[in-house]
Amino acid sequence: MKSSISKSVKKAAGKTKPVTGHSFSWPHELDLKKFEPTHEQKKQLYYFMLLNRAFDDRIAKLYRQGKIIGAAYGSRGQEASSVGSSYALGENDVVGPIIRNAGAIIVRGLPVKNFLSNFIGRSTAPTKGRDGNSHIGDLSLGVFAPISHLGSLVINLAGVALGFKMKKELRVALTYIGDGGTSTAEFHEGMNMAAVWKLPFICIIENNNWAYSTPTKNQAHIKDFAIKGKSYGMEALVMDGNDVFEVYRVSKYAIEKARHGGGPILIESKTMRMKGHAEHDDAFYVPKEQFAEWQKKDPIGRAEKHLLDKKIISAVENEAIKKRVSDEMLEAEEFALSAPFPAMEEAAIGVYSD
Amino acid sequence: MNKSKQVSKEKRKKLPDQNSVLTNTDFLKMYRYMKLTRAFDQGIIRLYRQNKMIGGAYSGWGNEATSVGSAYALKEHDYLYPMHRDIGAHFVKGQSARVLMLNHLAKADGPTKGVDGTGHYYDKEKKIVGNISHLAAMIPQAVGTALASVMKKENAVVLNYIGDGGMNVGEFHEGLNMAAVWKLPFILIIENNQYAYSTPGSLQYACDSPVDRATGYGIAGAKIDGTDLLEVYKTCKEAVDRARRGDGPTLIESVTMRMRGHAEHDGHEYYPKGLLEKWEKKDPIRQFENFLLAKKVLNAKMIKEIDESVIAEIDDAVEFGDKAPFPQGEQAALGVYAE
Repeated sequence: MKSSISKSVKKAAGKTKPVTGHSFSWPHELDLKKFEPTHEQKKQLYYFMLLNRAFDDRIAKLYRQGKIIGAAYGSRGQEASSVGSSYALGENDVVGPIIRNAGAIIVRGLPVKNFLSNFIGRSTAPTKGRDGNSHIGDLSLGVFAPISHLGSLVINLAGVALGFKMKKELRVALTYIGDGGTSTAEFHEGMNMAAVWKLPFICIIENNNWAYSTPTKNQAHIKDFAIKGKSYGMEALVMDGNDVFEVYRVSKYAIEKARHGGGPILIESKTMRMKGHAEHDDAFYVPKEQFAEWQKKDPIGRAEKHLLDKKIISAVENEAIKKRVSDEMLEAEEFALSAPFPAMEEAAIGVYSD
Repeated sequence: MNKSKQVSKEKRKKLPDQNSVLTNTDFLKMYRYMKLTRAFDQGIIRLYRQNKMIGGAYSGWGNEATSVGSAYALKEHDYLYPMHRDIGAHFVKGQSARVLMLNHLAKADGPTKGVDGTGHYYDKEKKIVGNISHLAAMIPQAVGTALASVMKKENAVVLNYIGDGGMNVGEFHEGLNMAAVWKLPFILIIENNQYAYSTPGSLQYACDSPVDRATGYGIAGAKIDGTDLLEVYKTCKEAVDRARRGDGPTLIESVTMRMRGHAEHDGHEYYPKGLLEKWEKKDPIRQFENFLLAKKVLNAKMIKEIDESVIAEIDDAVEFGDKAPFPQGEQAALGVYAE
């Protein structure tokens, strides 16, 4: 943003610094070669994205059958962003996913059958049928439970990072926020303190163009959300959120830097929500051309093409991976649907400490 | 959109230098406002030590150029959302020392009828919305007023202040972001006075300078010497004009120093040695006085006259406030519920 006032005052007073300028980096400006995933890792990233999408599709199907207790939030189009970034975490790191990061929870090791049970409110689910969605925390997997009011995760995960720093543990806390969530108070408070205390904290802004039905232009008066890094005095990067390998490289760079005292890093992941806010929302307000444009950048299609073109996988192997994913989902669905609902007497469990 | 931008650019070129618009009368008025503000603070401090203050005694010592210079850029129909360090802005907006004193002494005739002991009052006519103690809470409200001004086509600008501490509170973010998105006629001055109570800036924010926050909202920003009255006025006048033209909000960082503790009860033992002495040399009133003397707008005789009139005005307000009655017991619940 050009600021006329800062310029004119600068001239007049000689003390003003312009608030314009390049204050964040694009991936090509960084040396990310050493963070290139291996062939084996690339295959896994591809597999996790496929599983993420199959999971979403299954949820959407069950929602239409009236079997989902809550709403069905999906992450179609954003698989690369959550899979690539969470895959770059170390074993002891902690991730605080939001509603669109089912991929991150799957990467951290929650079996899809238990995850699916949660959406249909069964007793075999991590929340034992209390939640009908993805508000699942499991610290043994390094997953901090999602909080529906999105900005809240920023302060919570900054607090987790503060804990790591105080205990002198070389661990990193990663969380996500949407373009809408950046307008909340907690985002501001959390980012500011993370910067002041130089915490091992990473916040990925998943700029998916829409906050429910609000386009980004009605959300913030800026083009790149990464520019907010300057507001807090923290390093900021932009990445192509639909390129899983780039997401991995940039995230890995940020995670390792934060781990070794480099301070917090803000990453803007440019992506697109390819469905409505949830299954109940048909996204009639999204221009068709926008969907068509982003469909060309589908993260799974791009990864598949890369793997086949570079001969990292063969066509036969590709089919085998797809079959594995589809079998896993079928098994998960059978498991979840046959699982019992929680018993009445379990209702009060977990409300008070036992 | 580009066209309108160009038009406003051309308009801007035609604008005269803001300082040249100020006459000697303006200079003298602003000088007197600063002196009045300092004298008011001295009066409050004296009353606090005499145990006549009901609440804390907050002063704007060292902040006079910022509060007076900024409010002087406003028109009568513009709104003022001052903080507790901006008594000078109340004066500029037309508030009398007597009314302010009545409120500070929690007297029945004050604007809050004795319910408050500092400056948390609202003056509908003068368009002063006294501060909310939780400072950042004012920002969404001031932004709301700016939105109303646009919706009602009032063509009024809203001027609000925050500190280097308050700017890290959530409401700062929520308010300023919406002001930017809606391009509201809103001006926020961050009074960077080095300390938020006892917390120095280095423990408060990590950006190079609070004005960097403007970048994150995509709005205009300026960093100014808050002890230089004319620099404050010039910057604010330009921001006010931009806002009135519909060019959106401005964030101004005014660098100054809180010359006393958080309030009179605070001995600021946490200030490093020599800090106050350094800033004392930049005293805003003396700076402007020297400027006026050099310009021959002011002379020793006039200084003496102004000092005497200011002291008389404050003495009158103190006496008036001191003699005024406290509220009656039965008035305690008035204004709590709608009647």
